[in-house]
Amino acid sequence: SRAGGDGKPEKFQPPPKPVIIDKQKQRAERRFLSPEFIPPRGRTDPLKYYMERKDMIQRRKVFNIPEFYVGHVLAVTTADPYANNKTNRFVGICIQRGGKGLGATFVLRNVIEDQGVEICYELYSPRIQAIEVLKLEKRLDDNLMYLRDALPEYSTFDVNMKPVSRLDHEEVPVNKLQVRMKPKPWSKRWERPKFNIKGIKFELPESKMKEAQKWSQPWLEFDMLREYDTSKIEEKIWKEVNEELKK
Amino acid sequence: MRLSVSLLISHGRVFRRLGRGPRHRLDLLRNLVTALVRHERIEAPWARADEMRGYAERLIDYAKRGDTDERAMRMANFWLTEKDLIHKLFKVLAPRFQPHPGAYTRLLQIPNRDALDRAKMAVIELKGNPLPPLARPRRDSEKTLLNQLLKGYREDSGLGAAE
Repeated sequence: SRAGGDGKPEKFQPPPKPVIIDKQKQRAERRFLSPEFIPPRGRTDPLKYYMERKDMIQRRKVFNIPEFYVGHVLAVTTADPYANNKTNRFVGICIQRGGKGLGATFVLRNVIEDQGVEICYELYSPRIQAIEVLKLEKRLDDNLMYLRDALPEYSTFDVNMKPVSRLDHEEVPVNKLQVRMKPKPWSKRWERPKFNIKGIKFELPESKMKEAQKWSQPWLEFDMLREYDTSKIEEKIWKEVNEELKK
Repeated sequence: MRLSVSLLISHGRVFRRLGRGPRHRLDLLRNLVTALVRHERIEAPWARADEMRGYAERLIDYAKRGDTDERAMRMANFWLTEKDLIHKLFKVLAPRFQPHPGAYTRLLQIPNRDALDRAKMAVIELKGNPLPPLARPRRDSEKTLLNQLLKGYREDSGLGAAE
């Protein structure tokens, strides 16, 4: 403070500049290429995948398909000629994403009135009118088919659930939930190492777990010709898709 | 008992069925890869050499990543049963093939084996090896009859045009 007879005015100190964190830029840094864009390894002509990609981008320009993984809870409204409002809304957890190109599908599961229901939707079907992501969370596995043999409480989701808002655009949270199963027999022997499931809490005796390990194939991880390195293909397709979408 | 039809159809399958099962197939190929890295030129049945070629080239691609890479070291440890060859792989073969982007091996067919099975044999070698060169088939040889006749025709017509 200016106490005393200080004739000279103090040098003006400007206030510290506020640090502006540009959320737009942060959002653009995170890359997510939907898995159906990556062509599988095979002898098909890449022209087929190129043409499908053009159609997929065209559809994405008209209709927004959000980024989602296996384990997210989605609400899908499709056009239904026999319903009251001509629309049909289904809420469920995504247990599997399959197919490549325009035929890409995802399976939603929910338990409605004690009956398990799974519906397989095609991402690029023109009957789909809206896809909303209600809950963002990844699970430990890529394929949650074991929920069919898990206790029904793990597959029930409220149909009128409100979307859980997520503000951080950085990481999708991974839910390390270990699911409890119904008593055996199951539809598939999930304890076998071929499925490589990490999201089940196995309450089987040790002898059963050891017997399941007999089917393990330790040489498979060293079989170099089975590896499919998609990083370069992904880079090219990412650039192509982004350029097209910006137009 | 229904024997599945799908086991007989092999559309799109890229791996051959060698040996007593998938584990044995990998063991056979592993022995061949070890021998190739040790001697740099081996004779083997053509089918086994062809299968082995892909694995040998991928092994060299892993070796190019350097021996500090954990995954490369584990792969080399699995694929080379004689552990002194791991050093040779990382210190001799990886620098030799550093400038090359792809094919590091050469597969050539040789006359059938003398044993009772008369198996189709091949010789597989790493390029740039210090052994004397193999007799590779040259397609466009000057000594073929057609090429000699064409050469004569060209010389005659060239002399005619010059005059």
